Amino acid sequence: MLERDPGMRRLAWTVGGLAAATAPHTVHLQLWVTVLALSICAWRLLAERRGWALPGRALRGIVTLAATVGIALGYQSLTGLDAGTALLTLMAALKLLETRKPRDHMVLVFIGWFLCLSSFLYGQGMIAAAWVLPAVWLLSASLLNVARSGEDDQPLRPFATTGAMLLKALPITLVLFLFFPRIAGHFWGAPSREQAATGLTEEMSPGDISELSVNDTVAFRVRFDGPVPPPNQRYWRGPVLSEFDGFTWSRARGQYFLRPAVEYLGEPVAYTITLEPTRQRMLFALDMVREWPGDMAGQGWDFQLWTREPINAVVRYRAQSYPHYRAGVEPGAALRNHSLQLPPDRNPRTRALAVAMRAAAASDEAYVEAVLRMYREQAFYYTLTPPLLQRDSVDDFLFNTRRGFCGHFASSFTMLMRAAGIPARVVGGYQGGDWNPIGGYLIVRQSHAHAWSEVWLPGRGWTRIDPTAAVAPERIERGLDAALPDGEPVAGRLLRNSDLLWQARLIWDNANARWNDWIVGYSPDSQEQLLESLGFENPDWRQLGLLLGAGLILSFAALSAWLAWDFRPKPADAATRCYRRFASRLARRGIERLPHEAPRDFLQRVRRQRPDLERQAAMITEMYLRLRYEPAPAPDDLDRLRGLVRAFRP
Amino acid sequence: MRSPAAIREWTRRWIRRRQGPDPVAVHLHRGRIYILPTRLGLAFGTMLFSMLLGALNYANNLGLALTFLLAALALVAMHACHRNLVDLTVTGAGTEPPFAGQVAGFRLNLANPSKVARIDIEVGNAGGQAEPVSVPAAADATVRVTIPTTRRGRVRLARCEIATRYPFGLFRAWAVLHPDTDCLVYPRPAPDAPPPPQSAGASGSGVTTRGDEDFTGLRNYHPGDSPRRIAWKAHARGGELLVKEFAGAAAPAPIFDLELAPAIGLEERLGVLAKWILDAQGRGEAFGLRLPGTEIAPEPGEAQRRRCLAALAEFDPAGAGDA
Repeated sequence: MLERDPGMRRLAWTVGGLAAATAPHTVHLQLWVTVLALSICAWRLLAERRGWALPGRALRGIVTLAATVGIALGYQSLTGLDAGTALLTLMAALKLLETRKPRDHMVLVFIGWFLCLSSFLYGQGMIAAAWVLPAVWLLSASLLNVARSGEDDQPLRPFATTGAMLLKALPITLVLFLFFPRIAGHFWGAPSREQAATGLTEEMSPGDISELSVNDTVAFRVRFDGPVPPPNQRYWRGPVLSEFDGFTWSRARGQYFLRPAVEYLGEPVAYTITLEPTRQRMLFALDMVREWPGDMAGQGWDFQLWTREPINAVVRYRAQSYPHYRAGVEPGAALRNHSLQLPPDRNPRTRALAVAMRAAAASDEAYVEAVLRMYREQAFYYTLTPPLLQRDSVDDFLFNTRRGFCGHFASSFTMLMRAAGIPARVVGGYQGGDWNPIGGYLIVRQSHAHAWSEVWLPGRGWTRIDPTAAVAPERIERGLDAALPDGEPVAGRLLRNSDLLWQARLIWDNANARWNDWIVGYSPDSQEQLLESLGFENPDWRQLGLLLGAGLILSFAALSAWLAWDFRPKPADAATRCYRRFASRLARRGIERLPHEAPRDFLQRVRRQRPDLERQAAMITEMYLRLRYEPAPAPDDLDRLRGLVRAFRP
Repeated sequence: MRSPAAIREWTRRWIRRRQGPDPVAVHLHRGRIYILPTRLGLAFGTMLFSMLLGALNYANNLGLALTFLLAALALVAMHACHRNLVDLTVTGAGTEPPFAGQVAGFRLNLANPSKVARIDIEVGNAGGQAEPVSVPAAADATVRVTIPTTRRGRVRLARCEIATRYPFGLFRAWAVLHPDTDCLVYPRPAPDAPPPPQSAGASGSGVTTRGDEDFTGLRNYHPGDSPRRIAWKAHARGGELLVKEFAGAAAPAPIFDLELAPAIGLEERLGVLAKWILDAQGRGEAFGLRLPGTEIAPEPGEAQRRRCLAALAEFDPAGAGDA
């Protein structure tokens, strides 16, 4: 489909580039925006082909206004990322309606590049990058096509030319990427939080976590400095939920307590976490975390790590945790009271059960054991698809359905503790992880989301109790897949069952992990490490600037050499060399060939000035022209030309 | 603060001082090529800057990478734009003398020694821009720059620019040439000149005039001979170009004389002569020219026309008075 008409060809390039830049956005654009933009593109191409008149200024103005109002209504905003992208898409499409001059095409190419940039604000995965690169290529080729004043006989030439130029641009890009100083901080405030948070939230109703379990996407990846802790120590602490309304557990908002002292025991575990964007403010760490990047997050009274801004990009942080600890042996009275609160008129049967069981037990520890034994010995089932619960969810679960997921067990256990006067809270987080032997790291997925309990016991402080482990110990030791019978919708079960697919998946995940480590998570810290590995001690911005300058100079030198090679003189072929010798012999006799003089014109002049040389000169000229321009000159023509020139002595 | 026009003028003079007048063939080496971003290039720079701020604001590494890739692409384009002119050789390839009031054309030959084509080379001067040309790999191309003329004499191509915006139009590289080449400007032919007086030829003194009545023999072809007189049959047989000669008993070839031109001022009379010359040449007749201090014997043909018109163009009454 190569267009002969230059206007059509130009338009086709630009529309193609814009379509490629917009394509990744179609996932989150409202459908009407995509449809409208596509129809305008189609109409514009048709108008060019059929020679229809483009709409006048008034009509364009009305359509532009209508589109803006449409976006304001559809997105309830004109400025956020979603609304901005939609606006950009529609404006690009509407701009097509007045695109005639090269200038208009150039504006469109610029908009296209902005659309490429905004698609990275939605995700920085390998696939996003792999898609944007050709879009950038196409847009650049479109710009080249528009900026050319002459016409090309090869319609695909702009694509090849820009491809070669992008290849030449790669070293400079690399130098800029590695050494350009990353200025931290926001110039115009934090990006808006309009996208739904992924992963765990600060609330837990029955059924919330089982929804997450079907989601097999990666939450974070962990690289351990030393040996990997055993599965029953892989509790990644997330939001601590200490308020209960009888149905839903949620984080205590607006309440602050003193953080109890922690006594760290035994050997620490050091590790690096690469966290996928959550659009939330929590950081995950193994219990009990002792060291983490202080400029990134602070620790709350419930030992949870919170960042200042929502995490909208991949972040990497190092942390150190102690699997054995004693936390808050002396709790404050306020925190103790807070951890005992229950809604007064909800779940009455559970309250009664707690009081009865606590009376029968000798101590708090004995009571905990009794409750766990109840889960283990009575007919409680661990399942991903529990029945829906009534308003008094704990009563309904304990005395009625008895089928539940980790959230149900954690919720009912914590309630039983509080009702018996033991301070307790629900802790959300992740448990376990898939070991990737190819990359040597642990993959923690959304499907590893988990909920457990933390109870305060005299002399032991806040102690982790996982009631799920009582019902389904395989969940903790071997993961969800092992704990659930066939027929449960476990994420990735098919993949896990096929060795080949599982291997392929691990390889793909490893590639993603590397991508995150080297590109998406490349940070000022990574720059510092790079500089240190290059032999700079205590690197600062000056060394960075020095390296940036040196790298740029080097890559410019390489670029110059590359271009010089491209533009190297074309060596003359044998026939041309012969002809030049002929011309220089004539020049010595005062008949100089002008650079723009064609061989036959030159021959005319020779004939006029030296009629005696005519025969020889004509033969040489004809032979030379035959060798240069005829498709298949005779093999001995070159020898004959050589002989003629050798004999030519004017 | 200087005005842009003043800055441009100052730059012009600086370049002229820096480079001096140019020889016949100019090799565009690196030192002769200047480069600056265009308005599109500045807009592109602004766009890159806002992309950079955006990517830094959101700490978005792929956004940064995209910004850097586009910046690097622009830098490569800058090099390529500069390189598009380097090593071209520019040679004067003749002029096209106009009549006063028309434009004078200066042909320039661009020679590209490289293995790749030079694309969209724009040549221009104060008089305007020539259509951009591309010079194929290891080949030449000719461009024509023009200067409008108002009066006969000579016009000088004092300055011209060879420029390119290829590949993206983000940068414009240019080289300034001061060829100092002249082009003749013939007098404007008087449109309503009366026919030449019949006696004009009478003053022809003893020249063998050639008519077209009696065939007298063949002679060698000279450029300017009318193609109608070439002995094509003889050419087909032997290859030599011969011209048939006739002895004319007809009216002797006229010699147009400035003194006899019926007009008032000198320029008007020159215009009348120019018109006579064009008419005579158009009819294929021989003609001569007499100006004070100059006499050109009658001959037919294109070369004669050029010779006579050049004499008219350069006629200087003051200089002629001395002769």
